[in-house]
Amino acid sequence: MASSLPSLAIPGQRLGPVATYAAGPGTHVHHSHVYASIAGPVFVDPAQAKTQTKSTITVSRTPRPAANPTTTAAPSSKPKYNTLPAVDAVVLARVTRVQKRQATVSILVVLDESAASKALNPTQPASDNDNIESILSSAANPENHSSADELRFQALIRKEDVRAVEKDRVVMDEMFRVGDIVRGTVISLGDQSFYYITTARNDLGVVMARSEAGNMMFPVSWKEMRDPVTGVAEQRKVARPF
Amino acid sequence: MPLDTSTTYPLTKLRLDGRRWNELRLIQAQISTNPASSGSSYLAMGNTTILCSVHGPAEGRRGDATGGSAGGSGAVVEVDVNIAGFASVDRKRRAGGSDRQSGRIASTLRSAFQSHLHTYLYPHSTISIHVSVLSADGSLLAAAVNACTLALVDAGIPMPGLLCGCTSGMSGSASTPRDPLNDFLDPLLDVSLPEEQELPFLTVATTTSIPTGADEDDDDMKVAMLTMDSKVHHTYIETMLAVGVDGCKQIREILDGVIKGSSRR
Repeated sequence: MASSLPSLAIPGQRLGPVATYAAGPGTHVHHSHVYASIAGPVFVDPAQAKTQTKSTITVSRTPRPAANPTTTAAPSSKPKYNTLPAVDAVVLARVTRVQKRQATVSILVVLDESAASKALNPTQPASDNDNIESILSSAANPENHSSADELRFQALIRKEDVRAVEKDRVVMDEMFRVGDIVRGTVISLGDQSFYYITTARNDLGVVMARSEAGNMMFPVSWKEMRDPVTGVAEQRKVARPF
Repeated sequence: MPLDTSTTYPLTKLRLDGRRWNELRLIQAQISTNPASSGSSYLAMGNTTILCSVHGPAEGRRGDATGGSAGGSGAVVEVDVNIAGFASVDRKRRAGGSDRQSGRIASTLRSAFQSHLHTYLYPHSTISIHVSVLSADGSLLAAAVNACTLALVDAGIPMPGLLCGCTSGMSGSASTPRDPLNDFLDPLLDVSLPEEQELPFLTVATTTSIPTGADEDDDDMKVAMLTMDSKVHHTYIETMLAVGVDGCKQIREILDGVIKGSSRR
């Protein structure tokens, strides 16, 4: 079809025949034509030689930062934190409640996937912005628990999501304490009130914790942390330090 | 001389508000009027004024009978219509907050949008539409359909096309068979409240014209909703329907402009 695409689509507007375009998000196919389903700017992603033969036509709700509709360059200026939790996102969360079958945490920082891979890279630590540092430095202190915690995203770590092995032997009291800072990944957006988080990976688990005496502890093994002042060891599901 | 359409229209060929038979009232609309909702709209057709807000698609309420079983395959559309007490000429005091008229509009809107929207994309969820009638001057259902469409577009809920509603009536009681030789009745587009109370009318809503066949401009309007409460001889139905469908086409162009104008900002 020679006619050019509209820059702005209205639901029900015909965008092109199925023979030349594949229907992407925001479009649907009707009578072998691609139609817009939502209102918004139209983008055409050119065909990748290997995976697909037709260009994909997409209607998005918001204009893309790259104004050129023919380029597929990923938006580079994505915020590295403070995004909404998504599935597979790495989050830092503070434990607010430990129950027999689950621990309740509130999400402090969300790292999206691209940032998370950087964060796991030792040359560029996650705390490359002061925001995370300031949140965390206040976080592990039990006196700092404020009602602001309740305003953050709430999440659950279920007993079977704490670790990958010996799931049935998990005792929640020996894995987390209230006030610990936990690194985890989101496994589900959950229901209206809670996200679901897992720590069942070596690099996930408690990253900062205070002992009963109130001192910051250092990890000694994957399930033990020690108070440098009193020398008392406490049990935790510890994340592998970098 | 009584001042009503059936007596004055044959003499002047003008309706009570000065329109000709095929003229719409002034339509003014805005989109995203309420930032707290997922999508919202304001629509005025003449003196009929409607605010509409859409919430969702959101997770269905727990314990909701429809949320568990019927919502399994797609989203459930909930419609709530509130006609303000000050909307019409005489102020109404209502205890319950809903009367027969608003209940009928709500159930018609619900069934129209339930089958119209692409609800299969959102299983186990609810799309709730709240319609507030601020001022009622006829064609309430048609105006509500248009307001809902704008709000749903604003909410970004996928749909096969814009659903546009319009009313049409006849300029007399039209209770006897139509005489092609002596046809003095005209169809009336977009009836107002005095016309609605006096004359037979129907409400029709169509979706975006769907091109059929190879011809690019061969359009086929799809009627998605059609209601009629008054009595009319069946020979007049075709005329009324044709006028109503044509009105829907005009309204679609207006709504198109509203959506395009608001996205540019």
